[in-house]
Amino acid sequence: MRKFWCAFFVFWPIVAIIYSLISSLIPSLGWWFPGPSVTELGQRIDNLFYLILYIVTAVFIGTQIAMGYVLWRASHSKDERAWFSHGSHSLEVIWSVVPSVILLFLALYQMDVWALFRVQAYFPKEAREAPVAEVTARQFEWRIRYPAPGKKLQLKPQPDDLYDVNDLHVPINRPVMIQLRSEDVQHSFFLPHLRVKQDAVPGQIIPIWFKAERQGLFDLTCAELCGWGHYKMRAQLTAETEVEYEAYLKKLQADQNYDGHATPSAVAKKDE
Amino acid sequence: MSARVWRLLVVVLAGAVAGCAEDASQMRFAQNADIAKPVHRKARAVVEKTLEEHFGTPLNSVAWLKLPVNYGKAEGKVKSVDGRSVIVDFNAETSDLESLKSPELSRAGLLFTSGANQGKSFLLASYDASEKSFETLTALETAPAEGDQFVVAGQNLRHGRKLYARHCQHCHGINGDGDGTTAKYLNPRPRDYRLGIFKFTSTNKDTKASRDDLKRIVSQGIPGTYMPAFVPMLKENELAVLIEYVRWLAMRGELEVQLLKDLKNDYAADRARKEAQETKASTSDIEKQIAKQLEEYVANPTEGLAAFIETVTGDMVSAWEGAETADTVIMPPVPRVPDTAESRERGKALFVKTDGGKCINCHGPTGRGNGFQTEDFQKNDATGGFYEKRGLHDSWGEQIKPRDLTRGIYRGGRRPIDLYRRISQGIKGTPMPPVAATVKPEQVWDLVNYVLSVPFESASPKAAKAHSIAGQPNELGNAN
Repeated sequence: MRKFWCAFFVFWPIVAIIYSLISSLIPSLGWWFPGPSVTELGQRIDNLFYLILYIVTAVFIGTQIAMGYVLWRASHSKDERAWFSHGSHSLEVIWSVVPSVILLFLALYQMDVWALFRVQAYFPKEAREAPVAEVTARQFEWRIRYPAPGKKLQLKPQPDDLYDVNDLHVPINRPVMIQLRSEDVQHSFFLPHLRVKQDAVPGQIIPIWFKAERQGLFDLTCAELCGWGHYKMRAQLTAETEVEYEAYLKKLQADQNYDGHATPSAVAKKDE
Repeated sequence: MSARVWRLLVVVLAGAVAGCAEDASQMRFAQNADIAKPVHRKARAVVEKTLEEHFGTPLNSVAWLKLPVNYGKAEGKVKSVDGRSVIVDFNAETSDLESLKSPELSRAGLLFTSGANQGKSFLLASYDASEKSFETLTALETAPAEGDQFVVAGQNLRHGRKLYARHCQHCHGINGDGDGTTAKYLNPRPRDYRLGIFKFTSTNKDTKASRDDLKRIVSQGIPGTYMPAFVPMLKENELAVLIEYVRWLAMRGELEVQLLKDLKNDYAADRARKEAQETKASTSDIEKQIAKQLEEYVANPTEGLAAFIETVTGDMVSAWEGAETADTVIMPPVPRVPDTAESRERGKALFVKTDGGKCINCHGPTGRGNGFQTEDFQKNDATGGFYEKRGLHDSWGEQIKPRDLTRGIYRGGRRPIDLYRRISQGIKGTPMPPVAATVKPEQVWDLVNYVLSVPFESASPKAAKAHSIAGQPNELGNAN
């Protein structure tokens, strides 16, 4: 039985090493974390994450192997007596100071990323000054309000605001900010490909910014269990060029003013 | 461990975690007490049997060709077989449903036309047009060989049912009665399809909802209610089959309601008791008589059940088909009147005029939805008496509130054309009346312009001033 525990504690770091090796050597298996972020800030968040992961992996493997070694040695020699370290001042100093230094390093090292992601004063100025949309989460959909082309988003709905649901369009290659609200319960605005996740809290307007660096359709989901229809909050983020974005707003505007006579856009035509 | 033990383990584990899986034994179209209770149980059984014959059960639906539903049909040949799952190649999706007239096919969904299973029909458990595969409900005794020809039909109904079960059923109910398990927590209540009425349509006041109307609601949701938007989660083809299934359920519900309503006249639930009191005859004799009369009614080919079904479905078919024709879609004859202060003034004058649009009666003088009708007792057209509670009621007997127009939430859509249709044709199943007969199109546009301006109307001169310089003080984004 002594041998079993010894093997047990050594087994897991071996699994961890093998898994890490396979997943990083053969990325096509998809065992590793998702691919690169669509945003630069997301990449920096990933880097922080990986840094912590490397530290934790080294500590995990080190401690497990140390534990395995101690158990193995103790199970082999019956003559050797254990050394009781209880009360050892220098050991206590070591295991207090070393993790503290690591944690303090992480706390300081991540500060600029955190500030850029969360603190409004550090948001890029152009994003802060002209939020592109207001996203209102509700059970179980995302309602989106854009200002009319050329106008600024106002706190209160305006007569010429444009509305859409479950499809947030943003231009690429420039920082954009959205205002997040919730109509009912707590939701969470989650753009996994962009590494953006922010709770939507009823009664609060929470700004989020990001800068998509490539075109595409990305998932926009709710990451906070918000009720029985939680899974239905599966929307999309359409990141497109400035020209396409303008065209989208124009089309939305045409749709919204459709009176059966105005030049109908594609959507309006379908409705006829 | 042997493969068998493994398989058993997997099944047990899957069973343990499959909390959300469908329980086939509970999937049935039940008659709701609200419409069935006043009807004699033998008559209820007749209705149940009739519906079973023409619509089947949720898991074994019947593609009743009489109805204007796109059931879907495709022919193809087998490519490979993996257990119960059959990978196929489709020759073509055809809309010709003539062969559906064969009873096996309309019920079962799959018929082999060559090979070892030729002439045999099977129930489809699943069908996936994009994956090009299907599964049969029961295992095939003789596995089909590569190249075996088959025809499938009614797959839209089966695919639609799966989507409906996953996304809609918990509110709208298995049979579309708007009484699913989560329905009781909702206000407004989910739509009960069985009246065949849908509120927000582009069609005129006498016509059903078109496919496009239903599609718009499912994909855009209804703000101000619990109906969420299902796009982009549901793809185009999924929306299409889901809508066919909803239409099919609505037609089934309509027939059920009509049958029960008709049978209630002659076969009320308390008929035996009443007659026994009046004539002093024994209840069992009267029960026997009821059974005999019902038998005759079912058997009578010219004036009995069959004729009644013929009439009801005939009306239903033309109503649903009518909704798909272009001339029932309301298109304003004149373009929108420019949204000027004068137009809004004219609209407001009409809005508050008690002998004009009569909007004020329900929506109130400032559009807050607090007109005097909301405090009055209203007549119940179904019973001829008055509703017990004060306020407005819809065709489903629910108390409803006129829209508070100051909130800027438009359930049927916020486009000018949506509002035009609402005002001109009214809202089906609600006391919102069509005004097209008394109000000219230009005036309807004035009303639209006014209604769209209500959320931005200022309550007081002070607020009006604040509004005019909006943009500076309440601008978003520069908080820090």
